[in-house]
Amino acid sequence: MLQDGSTQILCLTANSGVPLFTRGASKQLPFSVIGSLNGVHMFGDGQGVVLSSSQTDCGGRVVWRVFHDSVMLIAVNGGHRSGGAVKGHVKGEELFLERLLENVWNCMVLVLGRDELTNTRNVERLKKDLRSCFGLIDQLLEDGRQGIMGNLTHCADCLLPPNPALVQEAVNGFTQSVDSEFGCLVVHGCIAAATEKWWRLAPQEVVLLSALTRMLSASGSASCDYPVFLPQGSPTVAHRLLRFQLLPGADVCVLCGPAPSLHKAQSDLVRQFWSPLAETLRDCLAVGERCLPGTVALRVPDVLALLVVNREARRSVSCVRASADDSPAPPSTPRCWELLRLFYIFAATRYFGQEEAPVSGAAPSEEKAHSRSSSSGDFVAGFSHQPLQCYLVTEECKCYGLQTQQHQLFLLTPLSVPTFALRNVATQTLSAVTADTGF
Amino acid sequence: MFNIAIESGPFSKNLEDFDSIRSVLLYSDLEPEWLDNVQKNGELFYLELSEDEEDVALARAHASDGMSTNHVRFSDKEAEVITEADRKQCTDLWAKGEPKLKKLARLLRRKCQSQRRGGKTGLKEGSSLPASILKNQAGQRQGVTVQQQQVKEVCVYVNPKRLTPLPNGGGGLLASLLGLVHRPFHSRGPGNPVAGGQGETLTVHGLVPNSPAVRGGQILIGDVLVAVDDVDVTTESIERVLSCIPGPTQVRLTLMTSAPAEGLTGLVGGADPQPRPKASPPVSQLVRLLWGEDTAELQMSIGHMPHVAMYLSLKLDSETQQEEQEILYQYPVSDASSQLKGVRGVFLTLCDMLENVTGGHIVSSSLLLGRHLVHVGYWKEGSKLLVLGLPAERVPLLYLQTVLGGVVRTLQVMYGSLDSAFCLVDHTSRLDHFFCLFFQQLIQPSRLTDPSPGRLSTDTSDSLFLEGLPAVRWLSLPPEIKMEVDTVLSDFESSDFGELSEDFFGMRRLYMILGSCLFYKGYLIANHLPREDLLDLCLYCQHYCLLPLASEQRVGQLLVWREVFPLHRSQQRASCGVAYCGPPRTRHFLLIVGLRHLMQCVLMEASEAASPALGSPGPDCIYVDQVKATLLQLEELEGGMEERLNAPAAPCLSCADWFLPAASARHRLDHGVATSSSSPVLSKLAGAMKGSSSVGARGRGLFGDKTRRPSPKRGLSDSGSDGPQQDHGEGSGAVAGVSPHSTPDSARRPGAHRDSLGSLGSDGSGSLFKVPRMKNPNPFYMGTLRKLLTERESEDMFSSIKLTSGVENTLFHYVLMETVQGIFIAPTHCEVAQLSGSIHPQLIRNFHHCCLSIRAAFQQSLPPRGPRGAAERTRGPWGLGPVKEHGVLFQCKPQNWTDQKKPAPTMTYWVIGRMLLEPIPQEFYVCFHDSVPEVPVELAFRLSFGLAL
Repeated sequence: MLQDGSTQILCLTANSGVPLFTRGASKQLPFSVIGSLNGVHMFGDGQGVVLSSSQTDCGGRVVWRVFHDSVMLIAVNGGHRSGGAVKGHVKGEELFLERLLENVWNCMVLVLGRDELTNTRNVERLKKDLRSCFGLIDQLLEDGRQGIMGNLTHCADCLLPPNPALVQEAVNGFTQSVDSEFGCLVVHGCIAAATEKWWRLAPQEVVLLSALTRMLSASGSASCDYPVFLPQGSPTVAHRLLRFQLLPGADVCVLCGPAPSLHKAQSDLVRQFWSPLAETLRDCLAVGERCLPGTVALRVPDVLALLVVNREARRSVSCVRASADDSPAPPSTPRCWELLRLFYIFAATRYFGQEEAPVSGAAPSEEKAHSRSSSSGDFVAGFSHQPLQCYLVTEECKCYGLQTQQHQLFLLTPLSVPTFALRNVATQTLSAVTADTGF
Repeated sequence: MFNIAIESGPFSKNLEDFDSIRSVLLYSDLEPEWLDNVQKNGELFYLELSEDEEDVALARAHASDGMSTNHVRFSDKEAEVITEADRKQCTDLWAKGEPKLKKLARLLRRKCQSQRRGGKTGLKEGSSLPASILKNQAGQRQGVTVQQQQVKEVCVYVNPKRLTPLPNGGGGLLASLLGLVHRPFHSRGPGNPVAGGQGETLTVHGLVPNSPAVRGGQILIGDVLVAVDDVDVTTESIERVLSCIPGPTQVRLTLMTSAPAEGLTGLVGGADPQPRPKASPPVSQLVRLLWGEDTAELQMSIGHMPHVAMYLSLKLDSETQQEEQEILYQYPVSDASSQLKGVRGVFLTLCDMLENVTGGHIVSSSLLLGRHLVHVGYWKEGSKLLVLGLPAERVPLLYLQTVLGGVVRTLQVMYGSLDSAFCLVDHTSRLDHFFCLFFQQLIQPSRLTDPSPGRLSTDTSDSLFLEGLPAVRWLSLPPEIKMEVDTVLSDFESSDFGELSEDFFGMRRLYMILGSCLFYKGYLIANHLPREDLLDLCLYCQHYCLLPLASEQRVGQLLVWREVFPLHRSQQRASCGVAYCGPPRTRHFLLIVGLRHLMQCVLMEASEAASPALGSPGPDCIYVDQVKATLLQLEELEGGMEERLNAPAAPCLSCADWFLPAASARHRLDHGVATSSSSPVLSKLAGAMKGSSSVGARGRGLFGDKTRRPSPKRGLSDSGSDGPQQDHGEGSGAVAGVSPHSTPDSARRPGAHRDSLGSLGSDGSGSLFKVPRMKNPNPFYMGTLRKLLTERESEDMFSSIKLTSGVENTLFHYVLMETVQGIFIAPTHCEVAQLSGSIHPQLIRNFHHCCLSIRAAFQQSLPPRGPRGAAERTRGPWGLGPVKEHGVLFQCKPQNWTDQKKPAPTMTYWVIGRMLLEPIPQEFYVCFHDSVPEVPVELAFRLSFGLAL
């Protein structure tokens, strides 16, 4: 009924079960199925049993979650029916679907504000309003864009510019000039620099704002003025998100109040602050999907892909090496991204745990209850000693995960790297990335 | 102690004895004591604890000899003392070569006794328990407390389901349940002092033989029964009060005794000729559970954990609108399951719907019940659905499928299919018992066994992982013993002698013996069964905890008989396309006989070859006696097995605590032994010594200075005391050593290793093969499957190689599973217990928990021909692709680190699992200290796998 491996998001009102929207999969699930999926959860809830997820033998999965007692979100992932070669997919993983639901909810708040969602007077109107979120939700669902891990990790994807100080200064200056404290520079969809306040936003918000910027910049307009609610910071009062395209692939955004007007900012301020930096921006763009400046020396043949997470700052850098020549049949670049995500899920759910930044806004008890309900978190709790590192040897590559006080590293290497050398490669890679750039 | 020359002697004698044992057993007309416990459908589960009094006395004698100082340490755990000492006694007897017939005689005498007792009372045994089993034990536990001068309280176990029918039928419950005879007032002569009121006082006028009251020996004729469980009773009310006892339980009787209180002890002594210095150890909860007693209390103690097993029908008969008609079976019927039962509609709907939506069968759901996260596993068979809800803190989702698969397969083996298990009404009570055991084992394993060192592990992760392996724990024996064991088993299996041969009665034999396997203290030591059959049997044994049971001393006799439906045999039949018309012609029966530490499982077939079985045949005495005789014969070899079990770990193991320098020093200080250095090497050696002498447990720093590294930090203060302490340590080691070999052997060290090779008596031929193998360019390749000993040797080798290359022995723990045979090897409980330490048990727990994850990764990447055989479903897809090797590095800190100034010392270690499909499928899990350079790790794997890269 559901296509193989496709994911669908169902949104209903929590108390009455009226469907608000469905996204994903070209063919919608019939209404009766949607009704039953919601019904089982509601029935259980009435009996004091909260259903959180179900799984089928061929990788299908359903995850339920109610937000603020008002909106029910259900993610359904179709399994792979075609027997034989069953290939797993990121979208079948519980962690992915859980984060997806959270992102979708945050995205609804971002666009409509929380009040509109929780105090529903007119369902029909809400349905209409929700259409404005579809673009962003679809983007979250696709998750096809390479180089973006934030939706999964809830850590902002970063790009380390070759000359950070210059860029940082420009961002700070520009943000101040528009009477704001929140500003950032987005290059290739990753944050190249941002003001301190921007980083103080909840990680989910930062991730979501990056996603929004990507969507807006993909629309091709040179600038826009977009009202946003911050799901955690200000879920009821809207701010303006101003976005200006500096160069194709490089955008600057600020969150600001009523002043200044988009036109004024664009005509005066952007030019004033950014035209001298054109060369620097080009350098940033040249870093490209590698996300790391050329000064960072990686042991090139040994590293297929890497993801470095700064645990305190909730930022991450990730890259996949352009497929090289030498090693026999390395996984393709998209597959590398896929493997990197899968390995992140594997290591994070089983060993490293997922520390979420304390979330304001949502009722703490609800959040807490939910973090417990994640089946994966439970397994981590069962260890009497703390896991620090882990590795996997599969048929395609070798994976190494490493956790320090401040960082997490997830590394893919080709099979040619001997297993005993993995640890060295990993520690060297981590220090290479962090030492030079201060990431 | 046992070299080949001596060994061959007893063996040949064994065979002669064997025949004589058999003939004695066979021709004695004794009726077996279990005969009356056979149920209508032919099944039998009979468990008898050994009569301990004798053993206790012996243990005391030994202890007072002072010959085993190591028991002092366990003095608060009575059971362990007995076990230890008793084992020794066994060994001693064996070593002295006591005539086997003596034991036999004892056994026969016991039989006679119980027979006699039965005869004397003239009661039908079906209604009262055989004298030697539970009730006897329960009776011994009766305690007497003197409250006031003339009031005493007596606790007795009563079982309303097993009333003693009285010859004259009178006496009511008082007589039939408690065994007290009270003659009513009117039937007696006048002149007795009786109180008035509505009822008469209950004076004990007589005791029913073999009743709960008489067994304790504390109720005397002339006592007055005042209260039952604090409820005052009179002749009027007694019957009503007693009729309120719903099931087997312990009741407290309050009696007024007419005898003066100070005479009480004397009276007790008089009533009971056995001097009882101390009550014998209580029957463990597990045994009581197996006896089917006391489930209510155990069940209540896990009542706060939501759990449920339900068998639901997916097809509802819409015409009959009965409540709860879709529930075909449910356990438990208590609050623990009420919520989950309430949402059964969710399970049914999801099962139906998800199949339509995603095209796969639902396997699991996660639910949140208040604070409890519960994982629910589904198993669909036809139009029925088995739902199993388990608390997530006990069973992680990763392993739910394995647990569920195990339950389903066990049920299939026991009943043929889930349908036949759940849909017959008369199975309900048996299933209740089945699931009671199941949940108890999962949710509160520690309650079931008495805590004692050296027993089978009871931690959830441990048991989850080890029991989830599609394999049985294997103990590799020295080749001579192994050969003898195999010969004895083969002799038995050939069944061509005595009454088993077809010539004897000139008729077809009843059963064909397909094969058997033998356990010693819960370790498999010989197996003549195909893998799938072995796993089937093992699942049954695991489920009924028979393996840990056998590791306790106190199994007097265990007898299990039932029809089984081995999975792959029925599948073969199905796949052959044999049309089913009525019951299949081939039926299989399982016979398990346990005597003390030995347990033999026999799989038998009744089919065309043998005479077809009709109805539900009970156990056949001839077969039972043959197995018993086999076991008695094998008991002669017990000494060798025991020695193997107590032998030092074949691959040297280290204790995690030794690698936490400051912690171990502190630990030592805590115990008032001011000693020295923190070098792991030194502690390791000490610990190995300690292994054989647990008296040295506190002073593991004592032995070390021979190989001691210069340790400038700490060595100064106590260097003066090293010498004498060392002497003391070695002395105590030698005195306390269980076996003379274990002391030198266990003290393996780089220098001494080579020397000790020669004396590895308990490792069997290890020393013989070692030297030539070393010269072999690829010495570790194992061509055949039966090379487990060699494998151990190669590990041994590996540790010695590591040692010679100057690296400390850092192996903490390992599990090696061999999939083809279905066996696994892990350090024995003795080996683990020897290492003791405070962190080490944690480490092992952590190791097992991690192995759950590693194995889940392996399994998910395997094709579905999976471990639990056919009962295992296809795994979910695994995005990362097949995993060959997976490792995790852990860091541990000592608990309760109080020193504020210094950061707590840490120790890091790896847990690594590797799966091999070639040359033979194996899974290997090791745990070792981080200090090993990476290359040796690789080397270690290659060596232990016998893999040539």
